[in-house]
Amino acid sequence: MKQIKIFTAVLFGLSFFSCNKIIDLAPQSNISTVTYYSNTDEVRAALTGAYNGLQKPMNNEWQVTELRSDNSKQGSPGSTASTNRDLSDLDMFIPSTSHQGIYTYWLNTYSNIHNVNIILEKLGVVYNPSTGGISLSAITIPITDVDRKQLAGEAMFIRAYHYFNLVRLFGGVFLVHTPITPDEAKTMNRSSAADIYKLIEADLKTASGWMNVLKFSQINTNDLGRATSWAAKGLLAKMYLTLNRKSEAITQLQDVINNSGYSLQGSYANVFSIGNEMNSEIMFAVRYKAGGLGLGGIFANNFAPLGSGAAVVNGDGLGLNYPTAELDTATNGDNRKATLIGVYGTGTAAKLYVKKYISAVAILNDAENDWPVLRYADILLMMAEAQGYNQSSIDYINMVRPRAGLPNYTLATLPGVAAFEQALQNERRIEFAFENQRFFDLLRFNVTMTTVTSIQRMKDHFANEYYSHYRTYVAPAPTLAELWAQTTPEHMLLPIPQREIDTNTQLQITQNPGY
Amino acid sequence: MKKINCLLLVSMLMLISFVHAQSKVITGKVINKQTGEALQGVNILADKAKGGVVTNADGTYSITVKSVSKSLIFSFVGFATQTIIIEDKKVIDIALVSTTTAMDEVVVIGYGTQKKSSVTGAVSKYQNERLDESPVSRLDQALQGKIAGVSVQNVSSEAGADPKVRVRGISSLNAGASPLVVIDGQPAADGLQFVNMADVQSVEVLKDAASAAIYGSRGASGVILITTKSGKAERPKYGIKFSTGAKTQYETYPMMSTTEYTNMLYYEAALKAQDPSIPVPTGTAVIANNERAAYIIENTILNGHGTDWQQEALRNGLVRNLQMNISGGSKQVKYYLSGGYQKDQGMMYHSEYDKYSIRGKIDVQLSKKAKFTFNFNPSYIKRERPSVNFIDFVRFQSFLPVYHDNVTAAFVNQSAQWAGIHPGDFVQARHFNGRAYTGLMPDGTLYNSGATLLDPFNTANNTPKSIMETHTINANDYRVVTSGDFTYTILPGLDFKSLASTYITYSTGIDFTKRNSSKDGEVNKGIYNQRLVIDLLSENTLTYAKTIKDHSFTLLAGLTGEKTSIKDDQQTGLDYPSDNITALATALQVVAPSVDANGVPQGTYNLKNQIGLTSWLTRVLYSYRNKYLFNASFRGDGSSYFAPGHKWGYFPSVSVGWVASEEKFIKNGTSSWLNNLKFRGSYGVVGNNRLSDGSTTNNGVGYFPYTDLLYAANYSFGAGTGTSTAGQAPSTVILGNEDLTWERTFQYNFGFDLTILKNLLTVSFDAYQSKTEKLLLRQSALAFTGVPSYWNNIGSLKNTGLELEVTSNNIRKKNFKWTTSGNIAHNKNSIIELGLEKYLLNQGERTELYYNNVGDPLIQFFGFKTDGVWLSQADIDAAKAKGLTSTLSNVFVPGGLKLVDLNGDLKIDNNDRTVIGNPYPDFTWGVTNTLSYKAFDLSFTFQGSQGGQLVNGDPNYNETKRYNRNYNTNRWLSPMFPGDGKTPYSTVGFNWMLTDYVVEDASYYALREMVVGYTLPKKFVEKAHISSARFYFSGQNMYFHSAKGYRGINPEGRFNTGPYNSSLLDGYQRGSFPMPKTYLFGIDINL
Repeated sequence: MKQIKIFTAVLFGLSFFSCNKIIDLAPQSNISTVTYYSNTDEVRAALTGAYNGLQKPMNNEWQVTELRSDNSKQGSPGSTASTNRDLSDLDMFIPSTSHQGIYTYWLNTYSNIHNVNIILEKLGVVYNPSTGGISLSAITIPITDVDRKQLAGEAMFIRAYHYFNLVRLFGGVFLVHTPITPDEAKTMNRSSAADIYKLIEADLKTASGWMNVLKFSQINTNDLGRATSWAAKGLLAKMYLTLNRKSEAITQLQDVINNSGYSLQGSYANVFSIGNEMNSEIMFAVRYKAGGLGLGGIFANNFAPLGSGAAVVNGDGLGLNYPTAELDTATNGDNRKATLIGVYGTGTAAKLYVKKYISAVAILNDAENDWPVLRYADILLMMAEAQGYNQSSIDYINMVRPRAGLPNYTLATLPGVAAFEQALQNERRIEFAFENQRFFDLLRFNVTMTTVTSIQRMKDHFANEYYSHYRTYVAPAPTLAELWAQTTPEHMLLPIPQREIDTNTQLQITQNPGY
Repeated sequence: MKKINCLLLVSMLMLISFVHAQSKVITGKVINKQTGEALQGVNILADKAKGGVVTNADGTYSITVKSVSKSLIFSFVGFATQTIIIEDKKVIDIALVSTTTAMDEVVVIGYGTQKKSSVTGAVSKYQNERLDESPVSRLDQALQGKIAGVSVQNVSSEAGADPKVRVRGISSLNAGASPLVVIDGQPAADGLQFVNMADVQSVEVLKDAASAAIYGSRGASGVILITTKSGKAERPKYGIKFSTGAKTQYETYPMMSTTEYTNMLYYEAALKAQDPSIPVPTGTAVIANNERAAYIIENTILNGHGTDWQQEALRNGLVRNLQMNISGGSKQVKYYLSGGYQKDQGMMYHSEYDKYSIRGKIDVQLSKKAKFTFNFNPSYIKRERPSVNFIDFVRFQSFLPVYHDNVTAAFVNQSAQWAGIHPGDFVQARHFNGRAYTGLMPDGTLYNSGATLLDPFNTANNTPKSIMETHTINANDYRVVTSGDFTYTILPGLDFKSLASTYITYSTGIDFTKRNSSKDGEVNKGIYNQRLVIDLLSENTLTYAKTIKDHSFTLLAGLTGEKTSIKDDQQTGLDYPSDNITALATALQVVAPSVDANGVPQGTYNLKNQIGLTSWLTRVLYSYRNKYLFNASFRGDGSSYFAPGHKWGYFPSVSVGWVASEEKFIKNGTSSWLNNLKFRGSYGVVGNNRLSDGSTTNNGVGYFPYTDLLYAANYSFGAGTGTSTAGQAPSTVILGNEDLTWERTFQYNFGFDLTILKNLLTVSFDAYQSKTEKLLLRQSALAFTGVPSYWNNIGSLKNTGLELEVTSNNIRKKNFKWTTSGNIAHNKNSIIELGLEKYLLNQGERTELYYNNVGDPLIQFFGFKTDGVWLSQADIDAAKAKGLTSTLSNVFVPGGLKLVDLNGDLKIDNNDRTVIGNPYPDFTWGVTNTLSYKAFDLSFTFQGSQGGQLVNGDPNYNETKRYNRNYNTNRWLSPMFPGDGKTPYSTVGFNWMLTDYVVEDASYYALREMVVGYTLPKKFVEKAHISSARFYFSGQNMYFHSAKGYRGINPEGRFNTGPYNSSLLDGYQRGSFPMPKTYLFGIDINL
């Protein structure tokens, strides 16, 4: 009897844990990428994730663009803090190949490209790198053709936006257009800049054709913030302009001006007001949302002056991004200045700060302000740039000047190409100050203009700021000659992160010259 | 009761003796033959009659026997029974011989025990004698330096922090490189954290693969087996142990005050003024104006009284430990109950650790065939962690006081923004900003900033002390371990054992930040964490032991299953009406779920995860005449970490032993001096599947590494501020790998055990070589794949090592004894292959590099070699004239580090980087001396580590190195005053973190612990009706020597979070916490 009892107990003990039940477990808190993307709603949610992925690169984007332009600078020359040291290195065109800000920007940008590539693969969108063509392959997801093309179009817009930034910052980067494994990555070397542009063009052209074409007023308000056909055309125009393909740019721009329904806001401040987000001028923005949702922007706290307590923004500022003195001077008498530059403190202790992205925050790094990527004003000024010196171009510039409280230009006040180009570059500089346009603009002016070059402008910038700023760096302060010597065409490109070169043990990845 | 029974018995016997006049009284004393100590409780019977007497506390007895009785039988647990013929003796004194001699000592091995003489693997046993008198709060810390091949590194000195424990170096590269801890047969997920030292009977470490293979999957990093004390069949015994003491810092960073720093700058400027090669320093070149302002605050406003911020962080921590236990039992039921309270205050304010625990162990002999053991071990830990890192105090400037007084408040009130500041409020740097400053400088000149308004210290951060006081991190851990095992003897020798246990921990935490805590205008915030871990284990084994003539063997077969469920919850509340009410219900807002840049869930979330493991195991132990020993085991493990088809791993082992001293041809002639000589050899395979450190970091990625998971990634669409819309995105941290499977370690071990000269000297030696294949690692991925790392299963690693343990009983006199035991271990590892890779380079948090190269040690530091500093521009020009160039930034700066053009191509670039050190010590050692003289005893342990290096991350921060004397003494100033030519000027030149300048010698040796004790004489304590009483004093780290060239304060400190979570990156230190120095006084009473 007893024996039987014991064996019953043994059997019970053994059956308590049936082998496979214990080890065949599945994640309970997360969905696997293998099973997801199975219907329209899931792909749409993944696309929302890709929009979210626009936020992270933005945290560093100003450091590799605006900070390296003549609009802003590392503003604590007395500081030897590592954060400021890293920013100074970018500001003075001597970033280390191991610079963390550059690497973070690179990684976060490629993370979102990875994200988008998965979506496009699931939607059966295939890019052919040799022909530059995009085609659709058979898929099993139940999705309407309209939805499929709309979602794919938005995803391609995001991919093109990222690559456009990468190619301008780093030159020919790695052309990743499908999800790749780490092992595959090791067999890939850098592509030419031309090949990257080929993808951007294909993506934007296809996206603008596939997405719904609705005038601004027709867009379902719930969809505001999504990429549109017009945004794709505007970005495509900017790419053409960058490549000095002006006539192609004009075609796209003309289409936007004639048909998009986007328009300028009456006042400059209103364009950026958090009470007026996604207004008729914003063609695309990276959106932020306050309220403890994890979707707020860090810029209010990053840009508010250091040590200002709660005077400018709750939670104090880090004072990372300082307007240059020359921009401060250049905006005197310009209505836009009030939106761009704030002043904290008085007298010699007064500090200038970038005000555009500062709104009241309840918690640290949780600001509402969207970051504009493409504005209708940009379309107008690009049109002027593409057309060159003529009355029509001056008319386009004049469209954005009244709200700045500035007089219109005429052929008489802009007598000749040089004056026109000077006026246009200055208009863009102020209109888009702190929107990460200035550095790319300067690079582009090298090809779209004849009298403005990025190198000379940067050298002038160092000269203008030298005595008030760069000379006051902790010993040994850089000499102006050193700053000029560092301002080389090669240094207009960033170094490929050293980590990429070090991590690939199978291929030699070439570093950009000058690093 | 029992005492009374005994008395009754004695009186009855006496009564009988009166009745039967023909009886006589025999008296005497019973002692322990080995130690000479009196034995209490020895049972004495006349012939085989019932009843009998027991000896008193002093070993004496008195027994009345019938005159016809012929013999007395003395019996006592653990001693050989002796029978003495009475004849006409009236006094019989005897010495009993302990049966548990070293040779017959039982060693706990996986799923069973074995006589030590039969052990064929590398198993170290550490008996708990005075372990619990160690002046440390944890068992793992107490084991430091005690066992060869077990390295214990106190990577953090925070109260209750986990040390890094490694058995035989590194055989694995993932998070699970810590040894498996098994307490009374039950694997403990939380390692040694909850083990009460006083409850420990012994600690066994299974070091070689053959011994650990029975634990298969989890034995790869060694196994530490803890056996807790059990009750004995004797009268109830009571023990009380109490100790209390203080913990203080061994040393702090040598930081300069603002005054000292300013004086130094002026002194340096005066020197530089003598150097004609540099232009006359301008005002800002000597010292910046804001530094002048800081100097004026300290000297003029505060009358020279700066703040020592390190001392604002540190205090003398109180350490208190109370342990009580009751044990006893009968033949049928034995029990051991203990309760403990431990208070361990950290050296830093707000570092508190209080532990309450109970352990109950009951053994019941249900019948001749059935036995039942029940363990119950609830505990409660209350913790507080400081919210500010010690390094934030270290680097803070001395000119700012902690609180405003009348003078400083009045000063800052002058500016409108700070008009509301009162004396007693926390001082913040910004209060002093934007003001004019006037005062004397160190050179006697008057500085007046005039119209120029200055910011003495421009920072967004509040002072570390004010943050620490307004941001509190509290946690409560509740833990219950319950296990029951039932053993049934089916046939003689054939036992079935079924063990079932539940392990439940529930941890709750509140991290509450008051309003304006770290920054002005910040709302208050409360983060509430709950973690529930439920681990269910079932083990069923059949054991068959049989001896047939000279052959004895033990067979084992078993099935086990373990399932762990982990639930993590967090809620975050914002904007509470009061800083003093921390209830979530009062928060204005609850933060929505989100995922941060590193994939870590934020705000509010709940996560559920599971881990499963199922195994079967078999083993045979065989010995022939106790001379020839053979063991073999085989285990199969299935794990939920891997994808179907890759779940199972198999782990065989075999080991042999030869007890040479039992051979007749050796015994003859050597028996006078050779007590034991055994040779051992083993080969075994162990596995590793532990990928996750169990933290919520990276969400569940560590639990399901074979698949890619999606995480919340929302976005706002719509007009105006938009509406948050749910989105999903793949991990930006790590990619999965569906082919992932078991990592396996194959290890050979050879060793011998030698005991000579009547146990005078015991030597145990082991040599091993292991090879780990299919390393599970978080490999760096090219970032353009979209993620910085991925799980992989490649490469193999070799470890070779030697271990020596020696115990010498130097003096064994009755009143004076002296034992020395020492151990030394050497381990060397190298990478055999890395799949298709020749090497891997990994970046640390400050872009310093860790190099994993085939043929070399697993980790080597990688960077530029330096050759002192550039002495002058002329020095640089001369080098450039020879053609030296570089496109790297900041390479040619006078006073900056001079990089070596290693490949001689006259171009300093990344090809000049090379190996600049490695984190592995050449050897680690420990020596313990134990002395006793009459009632006094003394023991002390020296322990050290020799030859490893570390990367010091402190100098990455100018804020950290600016005031630290170690980075300023003898530094380069100008061509005429180049200092020692090796110390760069702290703010110039090439990034130190990429060079060998930050690679420092991590060697050290220390007087780890010392215990001085006094045991009260028996006669004295008996009057108080107690059986023993002892007082002791102990100290930890009374002397600590770190290597020359080390610029930190704790060479054991290491970072193990962030990128250092991977075993491919090790040896990095930043902001090391001071080494603790502890003094304890204790008392130990047994009833």
